[in-house]
Amino acid sequence: MVKHVYFFTEMGYTAYPQDEARRRGYNNLMFPNQHFSPERARELYAMYFDELLYCTETGFDGVMINEHHNNPLSMMPSVNVIGAVLARTTRKGRIVFLGNVLPIHDNPLRVAEEVAMIDILSGGRVICGFVRGLGQESIATNVNPVDNRERFDEAHNVIIKAWTTPGPFRWEGRYFEYRVVNPWMRPLQQPHPAIWIPGVVSPESVRWAAEHQYPYVALAPPLHVVDEIYDLYDDVAAKCGFTPTADHRGYVIRVSVADTDEEAYEQGRQFYWQLGTSFGITPLHWLQPPGYMSREAKGSRREAARRGSVTITPGGPLLSYEGMHETYQVISGNPETIIRKLQHIIDVCDPAHLVFWGREGLMSHEAAVHSIDLMTREVIPAIKAYQADREKGRHERLVPAG
Amino acid sequence: MKLVSAAIIALVREDDFTETFVDAAGLRVQLRRGGSGAPLLILHSELGVPGWLRAYAELARDFTVWVPSLPGFGGSARPDWILSVRDLAAWVTWFVRDVGLQEPLPVIGSSMGGWIAAEIATMNDRIFSKLVLVGAAGLQPDEGHAWDYFLHSSREAFEQAFSDPQKATEYSRFFVDGWTRENEIQAEQNREMAARLLWKPYLRSHTLPGLLAGVATPTLVVWGREDAIIPPSVCDRYVQLIPGATKSVLERCGHLPEMERPEEFVRTVRDFLTSRG
Repeated sequence: MVKHVYFFTEMGYTAYPQDEARRRGYNNLMFPNQHFSPERARELYAMYFDELLYCTETGFDGVMINEHHNNPLSMMPSVNVIGAVLARTTRKGRIVFLGNVLPIHDNPLRVAEEVAMIDILSGGRVICGFVRGLGQESIATNVNPVDNRERFDEAHNVIIKAWTTPGPFRWEGRYFEYRVVNPWMRPLQQPHPAIWIPGVVSPESVRWAAEHQYPYVALAPPLHVVDEIYDLYDDVAAKCGFTPTADHRGYVIRVSVADTDEEAYEQGRQFYWQLGTSFGITPLHWLQPPGYMSREAKGSRREAARRGSVTITPGGPLLSYEGMHETYQVISGNPETIIRKLQHIIDVCDPAHLVFWGREGLMSHEAAVHSIDLMTREVIPAIKAYQADREKGRHERLVPAG
Repeated sequence: MKLVSAAIIALVREDDFTETFVDAAGLRVQLRRGGSGAPLLILHSELGVPGWLRAYAELARDFTVWVPSLPGFGGSARPDWILSVRDLAAWVTWFVRDVGLQEPLPVIGSSMGGWIAAEIATMNDRIFSKLVLVGAAGLQPDEGHAWDYFLHSSREAFEQAFSDPQKATEYSRFFVDGWTRENEIQAEQNREMAARLLWKPYLRSHTLPGLLAGVATPTLVVWGREDAIIPPSVCDRYVQLIPGATKSVLERCGHLPEMERPEEFVRTVRDFLTSRG
């Protein structure tokens, strides 16, 4: 059963000239930052933070935040700064970090310190996700993508050890080396906040999450690959000797809800505000710098599905807005329709944690607030009361979507 | 002591060269070899070896030309411990020893291969009799930057490496007409190894400038005037830093003179290699 529902927005920097992006053929990494206006950003931040606060006050169980660099997709180049602000501007609800981009840090203890600080500042409301980052983050921060996965692993290990083993101790790893590990700031939640692993396509990340018994959060993928992701998770969990429950499954879904289906459908187009895509346009060699994606991942069915039929990540082939509805990468409708569609998702993968990616693009503040109201008043209570019908879900998932 | 004795595993004969796999210096190595006479070692660039180049065939009239695919490139194995150009340099010295090449022998190194050859020469003057550095990586340009492979695709890199790809027969032979899906996968694998070795500091060493003062091997530096990958100012730096080095700059030529100007390249190199010096 769905226990918690969170709200998410990429906090898009919507004020950049789309024509210029179209002319260049891409809109991130190298897209000139002269098109960024700090004044406009100030206004946008004010609006987004107001909306997030409103979510936590009116019925969401918290908000999700993330991190991207060199990219108008997101105004969150530091997830920890955003989290620190939320820690003091919100009074309740979880702050779900999805997440800190571990491989790009040369000093992962800084992440351990900052997350601990934010956990204390927020009164123990942090959920701590760790990610490898999009390929572009490796280039933007100039950390060798070939080492991405190993750096992720080691940064995670040193952070967890710093949180669970009394300091001082010494760390001599392959990528990180500390004479003294002894961060004075330790998390309020003991031994540390819950760790979640979000992801899109990579089977290694699913496997890694299962091996560590961390919940895996599927980031708005086509519904027909989600069951595959969780089948893999279950297989690995069985080998590791534990039985996953709904608590190990999270799901992020783009949701456009309005008073009528027609209105919601039109409003949902805002998810494709960036040159007609959700994440913008990226050449494949930025998205997948050398060594970033393993050969296994490149050859996986998920990747084939991604390349062949769906846009999950930047730079993938474009799927129409209509097509995205078919694959459940976006759902739209009046509250009743949305509830029905969410029930289908819940039947298929039965997540305990749902994240509504609930506003994007040039959607007005008023529309966003109205949409939040419909979610908190009608959708969330109905969804939390719904018992997943896995049999039905299993039957339905055999029908290929899209 | 040899790590592994050189043993021929497979043999494919094609025209005037053979393509084999040998166990050498602890690894399975893809080796192209042709010609007769004294040995000449070729160390390829970060783009790998596309095949038996016309320039190799020409040089094979006077030398036995050895073109191994370096570890991680082409069909050669990739050991976990080769992480830098200097690691690769150490490996090349083992390779020369294990396949029984008579030392000292002349070497031609292209781009990254030139850097490897230079590194070896800074440590030992008894392995190479002569150095030919072609569009060699390893030094910071006085002005500007080396072109960034990792912000571009492999396809863009091939084009960038030629001053006029449309007119270069070796370009169309290997990168257009003969281009296959396998080549594309191989190019991505080569790129991965290049990233492992060259990502940061990018295509340069902070210590090589100091070390080059100790090179005691006769050196020719060859550059394409229109090299748009490593600026020709790096040519001058190599000439300044290696005692007694001379240079030859080829006109209407980019980063891969052995492919874009094979005749001039071979003439220049042959003159240098056959001269007394």
